[in-house]
Amino acid sequence: MPAKRPATWDREVDVIVLGTGGAAFVSAVLAADQGAEVLMLEKTHQVGGTTAFSGGVPWIPLNRYMKEAGIEDDRESAITFIKRLTQGKEPDPKFIDLFVDTGHVMIDYLHENTPLRFATPKGYSEYYGHLPEALKNGTRSLDPEPFDLNQVGEWGPLVRQNPVFPPLTLAEGGAVGGIDFTKIAERMENNIVTMGRSLIGSLLKAALDRGIDIELNTPGKELVLDEEGKVIGVVAEYNEEKIFIGARKGVVLASGGFEWNQELIKTFLKGHVTHPMSPPGNEGDGLIMAMEAGAALGNMTEAWYYPTMQDPTFEYEDHVMNQTGGGRMGPNSIIVNKHGNRFAHEGTTYNDLPRSFFEYDPVALEYPNEAPNWMIFDQQLKDSQMIITMMPGEEAPEWVDQADSLRELAEKIGVNADGLEASVARWNEHVENGVDPDFHRGTTHFENILGGGGNAEANLGKIEKGPFYAIPVHLGALGTNGGPRINEKGEVISLRGQVIDGLYAAGNAAMGILGHVYTSAGGTIGPAMTMGYIVGKEVGTKESREIKEAEALAL
Amino acid sequence: MPNGTHTVELQVPIENIWNFVSDMNNWAPLVPGYIEHEILSDKQSTWKFKGDLGFMKKTVKLQIDIQEWLEPSKVTFDLKGLSDNFTGGGYFEAVKISDTATRMTGHLDITAGGMMGAMINTILKNFVPETAEQLTVAIAGKINEIEGVTV
Ligand SMILES: Cc1cc2nc3c(=O)[nH]c(=O)nc-3n(C[C@H](O)[C@H](O)[C@H](O)COP(=O)(O)OP(=O)(O)OC[C@H]3O[C@@H](n4cnc5c(N)ncnc54)[C@H](O)[C@@H]3O)c2cc1C
Repeated sequence: MPAKRPATWDREVDVIVLGTGGAAFVSAVLAADQGAEVLMLEKTHQVGGTTAFSGGVPWIPLNRYMKEAGIEDDRESAITFIKRLTQGKEPDPKFIDLFVDTGHVMIDYLHENTPLRFATPKGYSEYYGHLPEALKNGTRSLDPEPFDLNQVGEWGPLVRQNPVFPPLTLAEGGAVGGIDFTKIAERMENNIVTMGRSLIGSLLKAALDRGIDIELNTPGKELVLDEEGKVIGVVAEYNEEKIFIGARKGVVLASGGFEWNQELIKTFLKGHVTHPMSPPGNEGDGLIMAMEAGAALGNMTEAWYYPTMQDPTFEYEDHVMNQTGGGRMGPNSIIVNKHGNRFAHEGTTYNDLPRSFFEYDPVALEYPNEAPNWMIFDQQLKDSQMIITMMPGEEAPEWVDQADSLRELAEKIGVNADGLEASVARWNEHVENGVDPDFHRGTTHFENILGGGGNAEANLGKIEKGPFYAIPVHLGALGTNGGPRINEKGEVISLRGQVIDGLYAAGNAAMGILGHVYTSAGGTIGPAMTMGYIVGKEVGTKESREIKEAEALAL
Repeated sequence: MPNGTHTVELQVPIENIWNFVSDMNNWAPLVPGYIEHEILSDKQSTWKFKGDLGFMKKTVKLQIDIQEWLEPSKVTFDLKGLSDNFTGGGYFEAVKISDTATRMTGHLDITAGGMMGAMINTILKNFVPETAEQLTVAIAGKINEIEGVTV
């Protein structure tokens, strides 16, 4: 149940923002710029959420940095492209236009009013570059420029850090000639950050400059509703003590998705996500609060999926870290299910491939591709690519299953050996012929994005040189993207179709505005920041309400 | 080369310190993040522990080879990663101050190799001295506890 008006407020502000990810910071900064007094509450001991942990890349059509780089874009192409991907399954098509029209305005605003700077990543292109509707020259993705974290003083070490992301930009990470590890060491010495840490560091600086208060270890627990169902505050918790905070203008749910809440995952998602990749903390608190306040929901069956791999010796916050892995684009690799069969194009985008994991076989009455599936590869791939944390040229660690024959490998990992041998033989034949008629490897842009798109040479290679290796591929998610239904102002809508006064949502805490679609690099942060911008302006300019305490009302 | 040295003074005779330190099993559990160890011979042992780097934890396996065994004052050793690419070494030293007091020093150096070496060494720069200090302090604390010394 939502909380009732307390006897007294412990604190009153204009706007309470739950969370400190990208959606949260943009809305907080915008609300403050409308003159509102803003308080940000963060559940965990660190700032930045998944956003700080991420590549920090937003995907924004028509953005200023593209223009500066001479990349042409236009509104209609952007809309046509998004619609090609959403296939009419987005919660509300109005949001596609809204996103395309507002995203670049948001980027301009942040450029002009905060230290946040981006660049168009050189040599980068669009994930779906092979589609006729895609942008062909350059990208709409934006790469945060390196940021000097010393600028936020003692807050610096509190900005969340992804332990496997070195302080390189997207462009530098995929640099021709390989990664410059000396540059990484230098940046680490000097506290220069990139990617998600740069994005959040810059926005944190903007928030601190505006005097926005940020309280860590202070989760929002319940919304406070008045007698008419208006949201007038939050019950938060600090050190196991309840704190009642009144919000004269409104409460913004920017508390991320529910990927760390198994009950919500099983309730809503089509696939059973067992390996969330975000920092623990996103447990659907905002969703639960919104449901308690009577919110309608949207896009609930969707997540930003990822085929996740693990190095079991590597932990983040007491969990084995779920990592992006590598190697599945090939050339000398395939992914098989427990029957030893291939079942999809292994090198498709991370948000697309896992959708094949929850296919149902109506004859066998089973989910044949239920994770873990297995990436099978040979010594040639091992020698040429970094896979999870394994470097080429170094011996495979103990935790990687390996064997001299495919049969032995299959038996080790509990996969049907006849199936695996047959699949590899068939794959090798396809390689010989230079085409994969089964699943079309080598035909999509993403699988060789830095090399101009998929092709037989880059993505098709025989699995023939032992030892052979197997790594489990789990059903993971970067986050979920269903939540309370919102309108074009970011206001939460009730089950009866009315605005819930004083309640806003943005980012993964809200209904995903582009449905299941991950347009390209930045496909989640772009919409999250855009809705954060809209929400911040709206709530910041909303008329202040009387949020009297029960005691005062009784007088 | 990330390294660290830490020294403590104990109101304990050097022989008693040596008695404690010379048996690896006594102090192995005091290694920060200790999981297990196996003594392969007088000179060789393997270790598994979980290093806490703050923003991540990493389980590593390493091998220790004793290089020098100078009773009752010094042990030096080499170490090499079995699970990961690093090498290093260290020593433990006890210097008699009086019949009842000893100065005890622990030293550790670890250098990561391979392509990512430069990056990992930046991370180890703080970790290694912190570990050297924590281990030395923990051993001193245990010896004090056994000897009934209150500090
Ligand atoms: C490794 C990785 C790389 C990625 N790279 C990219 C990329 O480059 N581009 C892209 O578009 N997407 C990327 N993603 C996905 C992207 O990071 C997320 O979809 C996005 O950052 C979500 O932003 P958000 O603001 O909605 O939520 P988050 O950034 O997750 O922030 C939510 C915050 O709310 C806090 N919170 C939760 N509950 C409460 C509560 N009750 N009270 C107060 N606070 C609460 C959480 O602790 C968290 O800090 C990546 C994800 C991962 C894991």
